Amino acid sequence: MLSREILQELIAIVGEDRCKTSQEDLLTYSYDAYLQEFIPDAVLFPTSTGEVSRIMQVASAKNVFVSPRGSGTGLMAGSLAKEGGIVVCFSMMNRILEINTANRYAVVEPGVVVAELQRAVENLNLFYPPDPGSASVATMAGTVVMNAGGMRGIKYGVTRDYLLGLEIVLPSGEVMNTGTVTCKDVAGYDLTRLICGSEGTLALVTKVIVRLLPKPKAKRTLQAVYDRIDDAGTTVAKIFEAGIIPATLELMDKTIIKAVEEFVHLGLPLDAEAILLIDVDGDPETVERQSSQVAEFCRAHGARDVRLSRSDKENEQLWVARRSAFGAIARVRPTCVIEDATVPVSYMAPAIKKIIEVGKRNGVMTAVLAHAGDGNLHPFFLCDQRDSEEMERVERAMDELVDYALSLGGTISGEHGIGIPKAKYLSRQIGETSLKMMRALKKVFDPHGILNPGSFLERAA
Amino acid sequence: MIPAELKEEVYNCIKCGLCMSSCPVYKQLNYESVAPRGKVQLIKKILEGKLETTENFHRILFTCLLCETCTVNCPSGLKVDRLMKAMRTELLEKFGLPWQKKALFSVLKNNRLLSVSIFLGQTFGEPLRQLLFKDTKVGTLTLVNLPSLNPKPLRSQYPELVKAKKPVGRVLYFTGCATNYLYENVGHSVIKVLNGLGMDVIIPKDQRCCGLPIFMSGAREMALENMRGNLALFNRKDVEAVIVDCATCGAALKKEYVHIYAEMGVDTEEAQAVSDKVIDISKFVARFDIKDRLQGIRERVTYHDPCHLLRTQGIREEPRAMLTQIPELQFVEMTGADVCCGGGGSFQLEHPEISSAITTKKINSIMASGADIVATGCSGCRLQLSGNLSDKPIKVVHPVELLAMAMRDDESPGISASNQ
Repeated sequence: MLSREILQELIAIVGEDRCKTSQEDLLTYSYDAYLQEFIPDAVLFPTSTGEVSRIMQVASAKNVFVSPRGSGTGLMAGSLAKEGGIVVCFSMMNRILEINTANRYAVVEPGVVVAELQRAVENLNLFYPPDPGSASVATMAGTVVMNAGGMRGIKYGVTRDYLLGLEIVLPSGEVMNTGTVTCKDVAGYDLTRLICGSEGTLALVTKVIVRLLPKPKAKRTLQAVYDRIDDAGTTVAKIFEAGIIPATLELMDKTIIKAVEEFVHLGLPLDAEAILLIDVDGDPETVERQSSQVAEFCRAHGARDVRLSRSDKENEQLWVARRSAFGAIARVRPTCVIEDATVPVSYMAPAIKKIIEVGKRNGVMTAVLAHAGDGNLHPFFLCDQRDSEEMERVERAMDELVDYALSLGGTISGEHGIGIPKAKYLSRQIGETSLKMMRALKKVFDPHGILNPGSFLERAA
Repeated sequence: MIPAELKEEVYNCIKCGLCMSSCPVYKQLNYESVAPRGKVQLIKKILEGKLETTENFHRILFTCLLCETCTVNCPSGLKVDRLMKAMRTELLEKFGLPWQKKALFSVLKNNRLLSVSIFLGQTFGEPLRQLLFKDTKVGTLTLVNLPSLNPKPLRSQYPELVKAKKPVGRVLYFTGCATNYLYENVGHSVIKVLNGLGMDVIIPKDQRCCGLPIFMSGAREMALENMRGNLALFNRKDVEAVIVDCATCGAALKKEYVHIYAEMGVDTEEAQAVSDKVIDISKFVARFDIKDRLQGIRERVTYHDPCHLLRTQGIREEPRAMLTQIPELQFVEMTGADVCCGGGGSFQLEHPEISSAITTKKINSIMASGADIVATGCSGCRLQLSGNLSDKPIKVVHPVELLAMAMRDDESPGISASNQ
């Protein structure tokens, strides 16, 4: 527990209004989109780098644990106060500081919501591609420290690929800048990318500089409908092999189609075993050519129907449908454990088969969603958290899928991060030496271990 | 009693957080206890006996516009607004009502008291208003910008049956308090349009306040008398529809009465029968082809979606269609037309700062649209918008007022759209 004295020091930095300590406020910072809850001792809402720095000075002087948080949409408990202490929430530090059209970059405060930056740059005919499912809520700094991926990975990559530089506050309170605004920059170690994906264990991000692209002139969404999910998986592998690069290539199975349709009422094909949702973008001619190429390709690989969206509004609705998949699945069962093991894309079809088989064998209701184009599987295990025996079976199914992904040279997590649930698998993928180096790096940044304690590093076996 | 179905639903909140992207209050305050996801978490803890219903929780629960944006955007299908409303009722016994609400509700409950208050308002309101400082406010609304009371209540200006020239049908008209006492031209317009469509209009004299402000505060028992009275008057087999011109009254009669009766364990048959016939004027008009009977109005008009029309009743296109069919009228869509105006009934009295910040965004949208008139079919929104558009040359009207102006076949005294 925080002493009254320390709390007063913290309040002196941000003021009463931006320091929440009521039981009710604390309970609403005890969760993210993962299953476990941890109640913090206080939640602070800084609005400037100076405030963040002073908070960290107090925290390091008084040995107070600090967990950074954006909108709390993570799936791995990364932003929770797992060992108590304070949550530093960046939701009120949310200004877009600069959109530089001449050099195509943007500078934002940590709490800017991804979709808001996207809208702002698109108004200037620019484009910020990283597009996690939670883009309408997730914050920029949150996506940086989790290296969020999302739906445009196949063509545009992930958050890491757009990151130019950061301003960070170290656990000691020192402010440090990494990177710069130019695309090329080899001045020393790439500390920008070290922070990216560090799950809030090394430093607090207070400013983010990202690279922007020109906005594609045209975009079209295709919906390929399959009677056999195998064929959908095979199409994905073959598209990749054929060198066709759509902007997005998402797979939804029938359970997900049904749950999503109940929410959006778009007339999705409820009798299909799977659909692929495919975006192509670029110049109008390219889009025209590629969309018929992709449609033909899907048909040749077993799609019974390929539907072309007729308007931007329909494009948008289909993607709203896809984005809502995680939430919509709660219509089927109250709890959803979402797995994100990733395999080389050529294994897409057997991997889907494996998921279904593992689910069946463990008696776990399973639905398959995938950022298929980059091999990033998202099997949903549908369950009820209140049933501990069921949760054990879910755990077993997860173990088996992780084994499978590793056996194919894949990864235990494509984009959601390690946090609590994946920590036990970490050393098997990266090895003891990597883990030792990671722990050493952590010591350099955070010698007293006050930043995000209880993270994957402490939990990794 | 919170119904079992809603209690179980709290476990379906998977905490995806998508509700936070569109909650007007969260977007203003940026802390989670006011967000729908946060409130659902707190209610879950209370239902599990892990949290007391504290004064702070009470405050949090009422830091909500009940705009229903979270409900329509929740992928998991939680009926968040109904959970909040039921929870408000649970808290009533412990926390009671603030005295202002108690006073207001006892007036709204009682037709005689209501007309006495209105009489007093008419007699002393205007002189009183002159005495007050220019910037005196009621909640977010500047007093000088509040609309004047109707010189005579609308219902007293008409017989109980207003006949069409060549009747082809018959409807009941629920005028609501706002049209009866504040915005009489809306009532004149509704009656003119309905008569023009060949409808005999029955305006039951003894109709009461729909009760929505009362039961949204949690005071369901207190609102029962109003609900019973209205249902008895409006449950008639010999009419084809019950017309409402106010989104909020419509929400009450079309949706809330049925929910509330069901949750209170009262037989819903009568409420359901009335609900089946209740229809917003815009939706009713959409049944008729009247294009040929409209003359031009040269105005640039935008439209604001009332929460109680768009989300509670699912009516989006009809009010727009009402406007776009008027010749020469230039319709412009503002950005964020579907975002709550920030009024939220008594929300703007309890949380003036949050409310006015949300309203400011709406006003900016209206200004950016370049419109000279903003049309909206809700007296609450109208009050909120006109009260905050004080220094801007933009009129707020009900879409039916423009339609009535445009309709050639004049059967009632023509009155031009009022300023407020």
